Amino acid sequence: MTYAFRTSSAIMALGFGMFGLAPAALAQTVVDFTVAEYSSKTGPYFQEVASAFEAANPDIKINIQVVPWDTLLQRLTTDVAGGTAPDISIIGTRWLLDFADQGVAEPIDSYLTPEFKGTFIDTFMNPGIIDGKIMGLPVAASARAMMVNMDLYDAAGAAPPTTWDELYEASKKIAALPDTFAFGLQGKEIETDAYFYYSLWTHGGDILNADGTSGLNSPAAIESATLYKTMIDEGLTQPSPTNYNREDVFNLFKQGKVGTIFTFPMLVPQIKEEAPNLRYQILPFPEAGAKATYGVTDTLMMFADSDAKEAAWKFIEFAYGDANREKFDVGEGFLPVTKNVAALPYFNEDPDVAGFAAGLPYAKFAPVIANWEEIADVTVRTMQQIYLGEVTPEEGLAAAAAEVNKIRGL
Amino acid sequence: MAKKAHISIPMLMVLPSLLLATGIIGYPILDLAWTSMQEVSRFGKLQGFVGWENFAEVFGDPLFYASLWRTGIWTGAVVAGTLLISMPVAMILNDDFYGRGLARVLVMLPWSISLTMTAVVWRWALNGRSGLLNATLMQMGVINEPIEWLAEASTAFTVEILVGILVSIPFTTTILLGGLSSMPQDAYEAAVVDGATGWHQFRYITLPLMKPFINIAIVLNVIYVFNSLPIIWVMTEGGPANGTDILVTYLYKLAFRFGQLGKASAISLIMFGVLLVFTLLYVVLLSRNEADAAPEDEVKGHDE
Repeated sequence: MTYAFRTSSAIMALGFGMFGLAPAALAQTVVDFTVAEYSSKTGPYFQEVASAFEAANPDIKINIQVVPWDTLLQRLTTDVAGGTAPDISIIGTRWLLDFADQGVAEPIDSYLTPEFKGTFIDTFMNPGIIDGKIMGLPVAASARAMMVNMDLYDAAGAAPPTTWDELYEASKKIAALPDTFAFGLQGKEIETDAYFYYSLWTHGGDILNADGTSGLNSPAAIESATLYKTMIDEGLTQPSPTNYNREDVFNLFKQGKVGTIFTFPMLVPQIKEEAPNLRYQILPFPEAGAKATYGVTDTLMMFADSDAKEAAWKFIEFAYGDANREKFDVGEGFLPVTKNVAALPYFNEDPDVAGFAAGLPYAKFAPVIANWEEIADVTVRTMQQIYLGEVTPEEGLAAAAAEVNKIRGL
Repeated sequence: MAKKAHISIPMLMVLPSLLLATGIIGYPILDLAWTSMQEVSRFGKLQGFVGWENFAEVFGDPLFYASLWRTGIWTGAVVAGTLLISMPVAMILNDDFYGRGLARVLVMLPWSISLTMTAVVWRWALNGRSGLLNATLMQMGVINEPIEWLAEASTAFTVEILVGILVSIPFTTTILLGGLSSMPQDAYEAAVVDGATGWHQFRYITLPLMKPFINIAIVLNVIYVFNSLPIIWVMTEGGPANGTDILVTYLYKLAFRFGQLGKASAISLIMFGVLLVFTLLYVVLLSRNEADAAPEDEVKGHDE
């Protein structure tokens, strides 16, 4: 290679850089999009959507950051505090109020056309409305349900329960089987409180009373906590629930050692992959006076200080196309948030999905209130104290209700 | 005039590094102190001066006192346990035996693994149903039923302290080993001639000469352990029912889960104060003892 050739190629490269690529790069709007990692499929999926969008809109570049759920809130907090917030992000809907209160979230009413708005299922739109303004779009939804191991129920000669009394009686029979636990009770870490709400709601109680005070010391709450404690004491749950987080309980179920658990749709693909021979059934929560399920949504939020709102919104509309949504919901095991996807045969005929979707008409959502994380933590701590026998359900729940009211300033 | 210049030249020479140190250490603390007296939004925006309100809230919080008390137990137990084990380990490793190099490497090896990873591995090992520890104990016939180590605060905290000791041993052994290898051999030879037993040698030669190294090991370990988040956070997140929360884990929850940055700043300032007082007290005690005992010929190492 001669000296002259090298020089000329360097000049050529410079030339390409200046006249070929640089102008395009200068005109490009960059949209930073923080994506919560639901599974190993999440990152590649959004990357694919972004590539398709960029091909159609060469002037916009979508910059995707995949962040695990455990660190997402902390990450966004430090990003906002440091002035480097993304343009759009997936967040837990329970955080939305804090984001809206602090003026971090951008109301999207002015961007949302009536046609686009009409594609969403209203139930899932509602949690994103704060003070009459739409602060975000539902991006993922799930409802919870009861999952039973039919082999264990058959072996014990019990029928899948529809009421708490039936669950209790069936659990006694299943617990008598060797090396088997009747009821998987979660006792630590994320959503330990949700496991209690399932029981609280189906006993007719609620997290907050109509006047906004804590509903934790209602008769329904005491009854449901007492029932869990009784089941622990009588050996109907796995021993020492306070050592079992959500995944631990689900793992016991996958191993075929637990008769009944309360779970989310995302467990179905896991079971199909890891325990294909497990004979399970998805059923509504047992009742004791009320029907309920826990509806959980995640929100796609736009940041108020974004400088690429138009481009970001264009991408959002693209990403909510039916084909994209179908791929996302099916791949991650979510319930559809848009009407067109909900009408697809898969979501109505597949017994697993239909089993979870059945609860949607009476789904309850976590209240959109300030300091929700702290209130949930009070509930978790109280449930752990009750499970460990450190306090009675009456004492524990009364103290918890007082503490929640104090946090709420009531 | 001449005398003044004499003083100011060394002063001028240390001034740049002094300023740098003050800037790096002092600024964050001042910022922290300022933040602790503000109402702070979840996103770190200061919302107005509130004086001592954050501190009042901290001191009115029963979980703070429980965590403070537990931090004391945690720090004391881990540091004491570490020293009690590291001393004999260091002495054994200081003796000349076949395979000493390998043994030294093996003792140091855990140091190269991140604390978080060690904690994750222990969390798995301690799992009630599928954990390695229960499986081993059951096979050996020590226990019949699996024990749920992390289900109750008392066992969980004990296990966490033991893991804390385990991960502190390599560092402490290294310090002590450094001390032992610089020890004058003639003192031992003289003692043997005079008929001293092994215990006498340890008690009257090794221990006094090792004092500066033990002291630095205590101070550094107290600072590390007092502030150590990963073990407890990974294994129990301070649970069940806040039963294994120490100040750092409680602080972490307040700051990053509940978004109470003002209260969290107040706690971290209190933690800084506790450590500062401890270190100052310790240094004062040390220098007083040294003034009484051996004035010269001290082995260096405690002047940090």
